[in-house]
Amino acid sequence: MEIGIRIAGAAGQGLQTTADMLGQILVQNGLFVSTYVDAESRIRGGLNFSHLRISDQALEGVSERFDILMALTTGAVKRFSEKLDSPGVLLCFSSSCDSRAAPVDLDNLAKQAGNLKASGVVGLGAICSLLEIPQDRVHEILQKHFTQNAKLLEINLRAADLGIAAVQDWKNKPEFPGANIHSPANERVLMSGHQAISLGAIAGGVSFVAGYPMSPATSILADLAAWSKEADIVIEQAEDEIAAINMLAGASYAGARSMTSTSGGGFCLMTEGVSLLGMIETPAVIVVAQRPGPATGLPTRTAQGDLNLVLHAGHGFFPRLIFAPARIEDGFETTAKAFDLAERFQVPVFILTDQLLQDCQPSLSAFDTSLLPSSRHLMRASELRERASYMRFEQTSDGISPQAAPGASQHVVVVDSDEHDEQGHLTESPIIAQAMSQKRIRKAKTIKNFSWFLNPYLDGFEKDNPLVISWGSTYSTISEIREDFASQNRAFSHLHLRQMWPLDESYLESILRTPRQITIIENNTDGQLASLFKTVGLRPADNVITRHDGRPFTVQDLTVKIKEVLS
Amino acid sequence: MSVELKDFKSDQEIAWCPGCGNFGILKAVKAALVELDLPPDKVLICSGIGQAPKLPHYMRVNTFNGLHGREVAAATGAKLAADDLTVLVHSGEGGAYGEGGNHLLAAMRRNIDITLLVHDNKTYGLTKGQASPTTEARRTASLQPKGIFSEPINPLALAISQSCSFVAQSMSSRHEHLVRTIKAGILHEGFSLINILQPCVSWDKLHTYKYYQENCYELGEDYNPQDPLHALELVLGSTRRIPLGIIYENQRPSYDKLVLEGVFHPLRDRGVDPERVGKIFEKYF
Repeated sequence: MEIGIRIAGAAGQGLQTTADMLGQILVQNGLFVSTYVDAESRIRGGLNFSHLRISDQALEGVSERFDILMALTTGAVKRFSEKLDSPGVLLCFSSSCDSRAAPVDLDNLAKQAGNLKASGVVGLGAICSLLEIPQDRVHEILQKHFTQNAKLLEINLRAADLGIAAVQDWKNKPEFPGANIHSPANERVLMSGHQAISLGAIAGGVSFVAGYPMSPATSILADLAAWSKEADIVIEQAEDEIAAINMLAGASYAGARSMTSTSGGGFCLMTEGVSLLGMIETPAVIVVAQRPGPATGLPTRTAQGDLNLVLHAGHGFFPRLIFAPARIEDGFETTAKAFDLAERFQVPVFILTDQLLQDCQPSLSAFDTSLLPSSRHLMRASELRERASYMRFEQTSDGISPQAAPGASQHVVVVDSDEHDEQGHLTESPIIAQAMSQKRIRKAKTIKNFSWFLNPYLDGFEKDNPLVISWGSTYSTISEIREDFASQNRAFSHLHLRQMWPLDESYLESILRTPRQITIIENNTDGQLASLFKTVGLRPADNVITRHDGRPFTVQDLTVKIKEVLS
Repeated sequence: MSVELKDFKSDQEIAWCPGCGNFGILKAVKAALVELDLPPDKVLICSGIGQAPKLPHYMRVNTFNGLHGREVAAATGAKLAADDLTVLVHSGEGGAYGEGGNHLLAAMRRNIDITLLVHDNKTYGLTKGQASPTTEARRTASLQPKGIFSEPINPLALAISQSCSFVAQSMSSRHEHLVRTIKAGILHEGFSLINILQPCVSWDKLHTYKYYQENCYELGEDYNPQDPLHALELVLGSTRRIPLGIIYENQRPSYDKLVLEGVFHPLRDRGVDPERVGKIFEKYF
């Protein structure tokens, strides 16, 4: 059973809120839901949509097909009514706007309920009625959502009821068997990528956050601000991204677990600060939520175009770690671990997410926090007090010098963006400069020796079969295609990276040796993972499938593209 | 045990030019900390790039010598993470008023409890004598052979106009005045800007010790720093006379106090508690 619902209209019509409420109702009813958002960079007008995929099992890939279209503007009807699956349901702002439209006048019924703005909620009622969702579940979510405003609640309850009644009166309505599971309220919730990353940061012990708003990274700052009381964190809206990264450097030097969230352009401004973190060996977690570039690009759209940027950001050599969560659950686990690793190795750790992963919402269960790291790696005050001396950049065999925070003991802590000696004082000595450079190289080797901190996913591996390689947010879509192909005797193996740097080349070599064909799939212009494989001397891909129009790969378009290249 | 001058003793070789005003500032900072009984491990000096920002290396103290112009931003993060430290920032006027201008504006708005000491020698010294944000217009400089066409910034007027809660000016060679001003800046709760005039003995033949000796005057006991319009008149006035002292002051709560209220702090001492997620999950999902 699978039902697709698309809610389309103008910015400002509450499409996303309607989709969120509908998603929550369906999850409460025991269904699996996943949603994604397609929005323009504006606050009012234009053409946006929210897409919901409903099933009795987890289906988290991006799908273009839909059985129900709620179209709140003429533009939405024109653009999407042709794409509606048959027999589909078209719910329009006016039932006379299209010959296929259902006899439910969303705008009129909304006005009747007391406010034209409630047309989405009329549609919400209508959809729930089509799916035979009990009315009280609909009421429950509306009550939760409009708890602050009794008058709005009343209007919206009336709007939903009018939508429900209109569908009940509809004689030849199509049926959607399987949606009315009516299970008792389950433990699953709808959660977005940005929420998972924010929760991961809290689990990882973040105490200081600084950032400057930029789509699609802002939502993480907003989550952490909204939860700051329970999370007991300080969040600072910096005057610019340069300030944000330097605040992180200062706070982290002073012993706070620190993070920022930004996007391509904002991250470009931060890069000198990244280099500073590398030089002063100070931990930080940097979330880069990707959108297409160059420059302002497509502000509200998706891309996987910043791998090269974070891989090379900052002048000079210093070790770093780069992760790219593949699923919402990964966002949580990766971010929590990122704080531990950043502090353990005293390096910047990057988390590459993107607009798709940030805003999509699958239904999932509460996270397991029992296995997450829960200790700090700073030197204890008691240990420091007993030492006769302390040097922040003491030479060690693994390149990691114990980190003390200023103010924790009688020792002073000195760091310098200039090349420095073991104490942290600037130096011009070629001998010390070479030794410090070697220390940073040793640290990079220490990190690399751990192999993966986050294993790649390797699905359906058969040594001769064609191999598809991908990274980040494309996982669920490609997984779904792989299963479909396997059932049609066109099996391919799927290797999906979640740790982008460092790479475990010997592991990758062993996987890449045998497949008869290798295809790399990336939501970017230039095939950055494919280039990286070449740079590090791995077997190059035979094909690179890219998409760079600001939209995510979908199950439908990628199926065609994979078929074209698969041999 | 009270703090002594020798606690701040450093073994680093000083890279400043002989006769540089920085020596006077270094001496005064140490003296102010001794008089306030602040030990090296309870003080953090943040700085950026240039000759002035090398200052923390030449004394024993917690040191964050970061990027050019970003010293105030780094100090803001450090103060929020470790609010039990007294945080000073040393910068040249290039870092504070040029490269870091936006951070200065934000710091004055926030009123975070840090003391910014700007070593103002009207010259980019370390990069060999280019014009700085406070160099007078119409002089020539190596990158402006036809003359400097931009007017100099007036940091004191700017700060007063933005209600910066402590605005002062002193002179590197007036030891007692400088020590007194630095102490007042540190004791002031909130953001303190101290513009410290100093000659550049290598590149600037105009603003010499003699020039400052002749043109500076110290504000008297009767001067009231609470009145912003009076303070503006003082620093915007047409006279060539240069006022030294606390020029403007107002009292309001510091940013760190407001931000850290109700938060476990210093943030430095925080543990990691993954279970915290459960509370948020329950409340918001």
